[in-house]
Amino acid sequence: MDVELIEIREFLASNAPFDRLPDAALDALPQRLSVRYLRRGTAFPPDDDDTPCVYILRRGAVELRDDDGNLIGKLAEGDLCPSPCGKGAPNMAGLSGQTAEDTLAYLLPCEELDRLREAHAEFAQHFDTSVSDRLRRALDTMKDDAAGTALMTVRMGDLLNRPLVQGGPDISIEQAARIMSEARVSSLVLTNDDRLLGMVTDRDLRNRCIAAGVSPQEPVSGIMTERLHTVRADTLGFEALITMSRLNVHHLPVLDEHGVRGVVSTSDLVRVQSANAVYLVGDIHKADSVETLASISGRLTELQIQLVHSGATASQIGQAITAVTDAITIRLLELAEAELGAPPVPYCWMAGGSQARREQSSYSDQDNALLIADHLKPEDDAYFKTLARRVNDGLDACGYIYCPGEVMASNDKWRQPLKIWTKYFNTWIKRPEPMALMLSSVFFDLRPIHDPEGLFGELAERIHTMSKKESIYIAYMAANALKHRPPLGFFRKFVLIRGGEHDQTFDIKHRGIVPVVDLARVYALSAGLDEINTIERLKAAGASRALSSDGAANLVDAHEFIGTLRMRHQAEQLKRGEMADNFLSPEELSPLERGHLKDAFALINTMQDSLGQRYQAGRFA
Amino acid sequence: MSGFLLEQRRRARFRRLDECPLREYFAWPFPRASRDYRDVEYVAVDLETTGLNPQEDQILSIGWVVLTGNRIRLATARHRLVKVEGEIPAESAVIHQITDDEAAGGLELAGVLPELLWALSGRILIAHHARIEIGFLGSACKRLWGQRLLVRAVDTQVVARRLLERRHIPFKGSDLRLHALCERYNLPRHGAHNALSDALSAAELFLAQAAHRDSGHGMKLADFL
Repeated sequence: MDVELIEIREFLASNAPFDRLPDAALDALPQRLSVRYLRRGTAFPPDDDDTPCVYILRRGAVELRDDDGNLIGKLAEGDLCPSPCGKGAPNMAGLSGQTAEDTLAYLLPCEELDRLREAHAEFAQHFDTSVSDRLRRALDTMKDDAAGTALMTVRMGDLLNRPLVQGGPDISIEQAARIMSEARVSSLVLTNDDRLLGMVTDRDLRNRCIAAGVSPQEPVSGIMTERLHTVRADTLGFEALITMSRLNVHHLPVLDEHGVRGVVSTSDLVRVQSANAVYLVGDIHKADSVETLASISGRLTELQIQLVHSGATASQIGQAITAVTDAITIRLLELAEAELGAPPVPYCWMAGGSQARREQSSYSDQDNALLIADHLKPEDDAYFKTLARRVNDGLDACGYIYCPGEVMASNDKWRQPLKIWTKYFNTWIKRPEPMALMLSSVFFDLRPIHDPEGLFGELAERIHTMSKKESIYIAYMAANALKHRPPLGFFRKFVLIRGGEHDQTFDIKHRGIVPVVDLARVYALSAGLDEINTIERLKAAGASRALSSDGAANLVDAHEFIGTLRMRHQAEQLKRGEMADNFLSPEELSPLERGHLKDAFALINTMQDSLGQRYQAGRFA
Repeated sequence: MSGFLLEQRRRARFRRLDECPLREYFAWPFPRASRDYRDVEYVAVDLETTGLNPQEDQILSIGWVVLTGNRIRLATARHRLVKVEGEIPAESAVIHQITDDEAAGGLELAGVLPELLWALSGRILIAHHARIEIGFLGSACKRLWGQRLLVRAVDTQVVARRLLERRHIPFKGSDLRLHALCERYNLPRHGAHNALSDALSAAELFLAQAAHRDSGHGMKLADFL
């Protein structure tokens, strides 16, 4: 190949699916191409190609619209356009295109594309496999890429989940102690222009300053440890632990090529071993105060980070975190009962929303309600009111902030006997009004957390019977499930939303997770399923007539992929010491992930459309 | 020069020359100016030279690529380093990044030129500021085979200037540079001062100019000459 075509080769090599070709095939690729220039506003693809070709956009943009003229995609630099090449390659059936900018494109004859697909299995996968297979493989890759949590596999760099706390060499002992106290750390690294000079620890403050009678106004350099043992960011956990016990130290500075990155302590290493849901739940059962519970729940963020690192999927993480939330809820109830005495009549503590579905991430808000036995006497409510208040406050202290919509057991409306709950559901099902629909995501996902007398079964039975007789509310729920639509895909570094607008970031919860959760709820209700967890609902719906088994499997994969990206995004934020949010920018995704995400969005859109058609949801919107 | 005159000269030179690559080149008629530009083949050419004077300066490298109608065919892209006599002037080495050693590893012009002439036969030459390419190729042919080259050429710089003048858009000389124009048409920037990269840029610029002038019903080749 002429060396000058290398620039074109590099362009191809950096874009899917050509990035999967071996070097030799990439070297030979530029000469197979022709180049065309299409002015803005030209029909795409042009009808004057003598051989069928696939277009690869080098510069410019192409808009794709469906028969009704709705924008369904927008392609830009590096994108492969739908083509007449067939055999699984996306085609223009039912679509029309137009260049939205002056566009320079590379044309690869379908014949050549076929040859590449035959010769290179990895390249062929891009075209041959179903969206679902692609998503499943992407999920597998995410799991394989994960580092693992055990001490055998965790690297020191991954344990550093807070910014480095450091001071200059000329600060006083008192200043050093104040910095440590404010940052709540047990060691302080002293640096000069990024050069590591030494470290002081809590123990040094005690032994070398206070016990030795040294004035806190003295420079800290007088009591710091200078000849430090350090580890590298890629040192394995067990090596670090061995070093610590050999030297009898409790802190090790972690270095990388740029200098000191942080300090790892023995307790960080111990936590690696213990930050799993089982340990946390064990601690929760022994906790004797809200304060203790709050400090345990403070480790949920760590749990989420470590689970993400170990390659857990969103549903596994959701199960683990919800198990902790359930345990905290139950422990709060036990502590409250221990103080208030036994309840006057039996009750059931119910969770709604993501806790009910076992899909929480750390920092979920609380949704709960109280179901009380019908023989409740008016004077008994004071007990339950106090109980609910204790638990709601306790959950808030543990980081589960009060429900913004006031769906909590301490709210009189949501602390009711069975007969009132039955009435509530009867109204919601018979007269699905906007308020009822808003609450549906909470109350049609309902799970008993603490129910010693088994009150919940009766309520569930009644809801079941009522909903079987009424079908209109499912149509309303279906319309409601179409309110949150996923984006169309990506355009350059933007998110492309319906109507053709661009955004810098997108809300992966409301545009990726909620649509599937809502779909699954409608399928479950329409088929009379008892499942609450979204993936379990989808699987059960796939086994019933509510949903095809392919449709179910596809949605499960899409949901897992999106959810796992979200968990990973949040874990990165938590690791940096930031609050976790749901706003993803396309720039944090690899081109491959963007492709998969676009697949997942398209799939959800399709399922939403078919649900909409089935229930003619437009009439109820 | 009118098409008629050009054709007459071509035939005369064909008759006058003995068997040589230039004679073979002259055996092919030039595409007629009345044809639709989309039915014509082109060769976009760029030369890197040691200076601007075709009489004194030498060709360092030649890059070219063939266009079939409104498509560039990358399979035809070629880049040839040419062996020069004497040393490369320092200032031109800086621009082209071609060193004496590399140029010494180049091919004899007498070997490279026939390859280019063969590609050019029966086709239109495209170059940006074509006078340089035509001048240097002309004197090389004269030196090697005793006759100057005749070409029918599209000069993308002339096309650009005409377009700006026709639309009464004020412009500076630097606006007519190859890379300035490429940017204007949303074309990628290939590495500058490499003969093939610049030939490719000129080819892409031609496609862009044609696409912007063509209302979809085609145009005559004459409109670009």
